[in-house]
Amino acid sequence: MTRPMTGTEPRRQITNALDIADLVQPGRVNGLAYTDPAVFEAELDRIFVGGWVFVGHESEVPAAGDYVTRRLGLDPVIMVRDRGGEVHVMANRCSHRGVTLCQHASGNTGSFSCIFHGWTYGLDGRLRAVPQPGGMCSERDALGLHRPGQVESYRGFVFANASGDAGSLDEHLGPGGIELLDWACDLSPVGELQISAGWLGQRVSSNWKMWAESDLDGYHLGRLHASLWRAVPGSQYEAAVLAGEDVVTATTRDRGRGHVELEFWRGYDRQLAWLGVERGQVTDYCDALIARHGKDRAEELLWRGPPHALIFPNLFLGEMNLAIIDPLAPDLTVHRHTPLLLAGVAPEFNRRVLRQSEAAMGPAGFLLPDDATAAERMQIAFGHSGGWMDLSRGMERERVGARGDRVGHVSDEVTTRGFWRHWAERMALK
Amino acid sequence: MSIIGVDRDLRAEVEQLLFLEARLADESRYEDWLALMTDDVQYWVPSGRADYDPDTRISFVNDNRSRLETRVRQLLTGVRYAQSPPSPMRRVISNLEIESTGADDMITAGTITAGSNFVLYELSAQATNELRIWAGRATHRIRRVDGELRIAAKRVELVNASQPLPTLAFLL
Repeated sequence: MTRPMTGTEPRRQITNALDIADLVQPGRVNGLAYTDPAVFEAELDRIFVGGWVFVGHESEVPAAGDYVTRRLGLDPVIMVRDRGGEVHVMANRCSHRGVTLCQHASGNTGSFSCIFHGWTYGLDGRLRAVPQPGGMCSERDALGLHRPGQVESYRGFVFANASGDAGSLDEHLGPGGIELLDWACDLSPVGELQISAGWLGQRVSSNWKMWAESDLDGYHLGRLHASLWRAVPGSQYEAAVLAGEDVVTATTRDRGRGHVELEFWRGYDRQLAWLGVERGQVTDYCDALIARHGKDRAEELLWRGPPHALIFPNLFLGEMNLAIIDPLAPDLTVHRHTPLLLAGVAPEFNRRVLRQSEAAMGPAGFLLPDDATAAERMQIAFGHSGGWMDLSRGMERERVGARGDRVGHVSDEVTTRGFWRHWAERMALK
Repeated sequence: MSIIGVDRDLRAEVEQLLFLEARLADESRYEDWLALMTDDVQYWVPSGRADYDPDTRISFVNDNRSRLETRVRQLLTGVRYAQSPPSPMRRVISNLEIESTGADDMITAGTITAGSNFVLYELSAQATNELRIWAGRATHRIRRVDGELRIAAKRVELVNASQPLPTLAFLL
């Protein structure tokens, strides 16, 4: 059945004013949403400054003085653990003249000292020392490192909201988001992640939203990634996704608030398919999981493996990987990932996860380079004038499940529509 | 890295091997390139300096022979879209330094370590058509197998290995 393609055409005015609300319509989105600089600026304000974004995981900074540098939208921040064990998120910007304090992606330090005039801050962000303090006219206590309005963490996942008026993290995650984070952590026999292997960045000449979409698109696997399935036959994705439209039982899920998911696990044909091992190879792990969760939950986790989901807007729970989507410009994005290492497992287990992560992800992985190529060609295709994308796939067979989630066939664009629906809501907020 | 005691014939032979490897990679002749590698080859592109344990920290590439064969198999499908069409490339290799370890008569029995700088120009022909410049230092461990020099390990430290990289779906 076809649907009439009606609705207001978004048009660039002489003033370049664009009605963002016109870009997202039922079953279609206009490419100007990826290319227009004004849209990008509005996203930075309304999504990356005005809302919650993922910063990092507390296990990345296990010791006092450990820090990593990240961004809230375009604004650089430091996530650091102080001597009391508390994790802070603060601007990577000297309060004096605005020089970045940390140049490296990660490290360990006793303090943050500015190269320009030597203002020095403690690990808690307080301004500790100023050279030649006699001339200082401002109140020192007011010149600590700037902090986002809200910083909260859930099971080690640290989120920040720069504006301070985005509601609670609980509201942002919702029960659907909380369940995804719990699920990832519960794979560890001690309930904790160990994000310690560092991050690999992939620089792509496309808008950031192509990554939020392609990471959660179950429709493209058979075509765009055909080379991988031919080179490595027998993966868990064959039963879950590739077996044919009428055969596969895997599903897509829109959990609301922009958090969307591919449920590959529903199509797996055995336990531990996600780890690529037989049960006998990881007996200790299975026993430990049963000891922690009880038989039913442990067996369920052994079947499901990790979630494959987006926590809006920038955290991809990519099975045994975490990924961060960093928007740098309308047509420039960094997609970075780290293996989802678990605490409380044997070193061989995490080594396997690390090797799998290198195989799949990153600029030299077997999957993501092809996604980058498609994303870059989308960006090129939309040129100056944009043009419509059809995102209607599965609109008429999606159903409403528990908690109001929308659920569809694994190849259906339930996830993409869920992302854009929330995007449009957020962009409508001034 | 010492170059004392390396005779000129060996140096010339190592050079020819590195130049051949570079040309095969430039021309996306994947199987011919793979044939230069030993059965126990290790191919490592670290994320930053090569001063860490690759079993605990992530790398851009960390392939044994089996995974390297998979990589080549994927490229040979013709639908590895990140390298379809293959990137036109040319490498310039220089600053070769050679040392030998493990045997007195390195030409017949020993393992040779060769360090060299490279500059690689790549046209990313699959999407943006940008000319990309890659640079770094390669360290080859080289062994003689059935009379021919073969590569037992290749480590590539990119100048920008600590930074996000564009698509790297070809063989460095």
